[in-house]
Amino acid sequence: MLIVLVLAIAVLLPWQWYPREWRVWYDDAFGASGFQQQAETIPAIPSEDAEEACPPDIKGWRKAQTIAGIEIAASPNCLADNPHAVAAFVKGTNNVGHMTLMDARLSPDAVVKGRDLDGDGDPDEIHIRLEVFELNGGSPDLDVPVTQYSIAPGITPGLWVFAPKSAGMSTENFESLLAQPGLRLPSPAIRVEQGDKVIVTLENTHYMPHTIHFHGVDHPFQTASGEGNDGVPVISEKPVMPGKQRSYEMQPRQTGTMFYHCHVEVQAHVLMGLNGMFIIEENRPNNWVQTFNIGDGFVRRSSVAVKEKYDREYDLHYLDLDKELGEKIQQSNDPRIVTQLIHREYDISQADFEYYTLNGRSFPYTARDSLIVTAPNETVKLRVVNGGSEGVAIHTHGHKVTITHYDGVEHPEPSRIIRDVVWIASAQRVDLELSTVNDGLHSYGEGVWLIHDHQEKGVTTNGFGPGGNVSAIVYERYLQDNGWPMTFGMGWKNFLTPGFYQRQEDGSGSTALLAGVEESGPSLMRLVLLAVLGGLFFGLLVSWVLKGRSRV
Amino acid sequence: MSKAFVHPLLLLVALVVGSPGYAADAHHHHMPGMSMDATGMVMGGNKDKLPDDCGSISGDFEINVVAGTEYAEPYASTMFGFDQHEWQVKPCSRITVNFKNEDDVRHQWMLHGLPKYLYDRGMFHMEAAGGHSQTGVFIVPSDNKTYLVHCDIAQHMEKGMKAQLIVGSGSGDLWSIPGVTADFERPAGILGSKPWYALLGSVTIFLIVFFAGLRFFR
Repeated sequence: MLIVLVLAIAVLLPWQWYPREWRVWYDDAFGASGFQQQAETIPAIPSEDAEEACPPDIKGWRKAQTIAGIEIAASPNCLADNPHAVAAFVKGTNNVGHMTLMDARLSPDAVVKGRDLDGDGDPDEIHIRLEVFELNGGSPDLDVPVTQYSIAPGITPGLWVFAPKSAGMSTENFESLLAQPGLRLPSPAIRVEQGDKVIVTLENTHYMPHTIHFHGVDHPFQTASGEGNDGVPVISEKPVMPGKQRSYEMQPRQTGTMFYHCHVEVQAHVLMGLNGMFIIEENRPNNWVQTFNIGDGFVRRSSVAVKEKYDREYDLHYLDLDKELGEKIQQSNDPRIVTQLIHREYDISQADFEYYTLNGRSFPYTARDSLIVTAPNETVKLRVVNGGSEGVAIHTHGHKVTITHYDGVEHPEPSRIIRDVVWIASAQRVDLELSTVNDGLHSYGEGVWLIHDHQEKGVTTNGFGPGGNVSAIVYERYLQDNGWPMTFGMGWKNFLTPGFYQRQEDGSGSTALLAGVEESGPSLMRLVLLAVLGGLFFGLLVSWVLKGRSRV
Repeated sequence: MSKAFVHPLLLLVALVVGSPGYAADAHHHHMPGMSMDATGMVMGGNKDKLPDDCGSISGDFEINVVAGTEYAEPYASTMFGFDQHEWQVKPCSRITVNFKNEDDVRHQWMLHGLPKYLYDRGMFHMEAAGGHSQTGVFIVPSDNKTYLVHCDIAQHMEKGMKAQLIVGSGSGDLWSIPGVTADFERPAGILGSKPWYALLGSVTIFLIVFFAGLRFFR
């Protein structure tokens, strides 16, 4: 009886519970049956879970329009920037009406544009106010992230971002947990004009201390009043504590694509999202620049100097994120514990990076707002920054681009190089000239051409592809009316489900073609039978021992 | 000036002021009970419109509330705070809120769940810029209800700026009000995940069968 029970248990014990060596020995002796359980049917992703590839533009933000006297170009991508905010950024939040501010969700002092100091028809006194927002943070009441922002379907890493000072709620509305469109990754590109007297005030609305360091931007070490101005807590100043503010001053003499980031505990704060592009445009008459480009991407109102040379301009912000770092703000609602987790326990030397974003999104969301839309025989300016901790190797399908600037400094024209892989180190900027002249060198013709990091993990999301910073250079002929690209390969529906990035399907579509390789846990039936037999076995064993003992 | 001359003028002025377009441009009001300037804003202000279920205003109630990081200090695991987190008023009261912000960044005193026919999106919302104050008035309906009051800037409610307004006897406390109620999300226990359920179930069945075996085979 006992022997039968032992055999029954041995058979019923879930196969994966046996030591690996035993299983290897078994397969060596009797032939392999496969180590993984075969799923009876392949769990298909229910199509009703799929998100709309391109949500409709209900508010009419994509079309060309004039707001508060500011002409705003049409935005070719599916998701466009809020044109009211663009108008307020160009004209200054102090110079637009109440309704524009309400629609832009901006504070009246977010971007204050003052006097025209050089008399060339545009303001040269610029006062910018930035706040700090936590996206996908923890909550004492909910077990889901709050002020939600998805970088890809179902992927909500904890993030901190700078954003222009807003008014009202951080969420879309009271019923929604989603962040309002002005609050997103990346921290927005900031544009000023060469020679502008710029004040940037950091209003720390977050529960951790922060600063701003203006990397590559011409700024004095101290302000006129002797305050620290370099944003470095251990050298120049104390950090800005929660609920406090601090102003930085600069009058940049040189132009170029620069960088700004928080300098508190940089190994964590910068990679939480507190970094953005800072652009100093060439001085031109009547040059009203778009002070903020929310979410980077297409610049709806380029500066006068850029328009002289280029047909379109895009800001591209690459950033890799550590999943485990982002999770730390979701693990506790206590700022003391979050501080300990991030400032003391987080060890970047042991970290790896799971999420690779372009303009705050990973594929397929990059196709919603970060496609580089162009047409034949155009010259397009791409300003590229790598805000992440690893280098990126940006590869352009179908094109070779010319590097015109490194770190904001113009490269002499005769020595410019043309490449199809551009390496960008951490914090580095390059300005690229994308020519769409079909000469077999600059462009191979019209199409939907990918642009992506060619370090292969850069095209994955948590090691799973397609994901990461994949986007595309799309010619207008290949763009649908709603801004979504025409594609001729597999459907994208699977990519638009949260289940996809939980590995319920593979990106090649071969799950549907091959036998299932789904991992399945021990079945409930097996566990129950095992418990029954185990109980019986030990019951018998003990009763047998006891019986034996009573005889003695 | 003769009376006959004054009257048409007054009528003209009344017409112009009364038209919504004029009001929006001249006073920066685009909806009733709304004001906005560099010191902040008040939305959903209501001094005199009675809720349908109130015959009259039962009384006037004044709330003086101060916001700032300083007021978070008494409460563990908070960073932003109000100096009070609970108020109780009679049904149908008219409430004047004097909201002072002592921080250098903006804060809000926002109340949700009011009747939507009287308040846009059921909301009374005050926002005070850093170092500024706002005053607003609203009237609550007659039902016993506990209203959520909070600051909706990301993480400000989560990190302490959460309070409740109890009308009448209220409808039960809200979670995680500093000094009033505990957090709703408690640390996950031993049964927080499925493998533990499976293990516990297996062990229970094991024990039952074990003792049954002992009993029957002994």
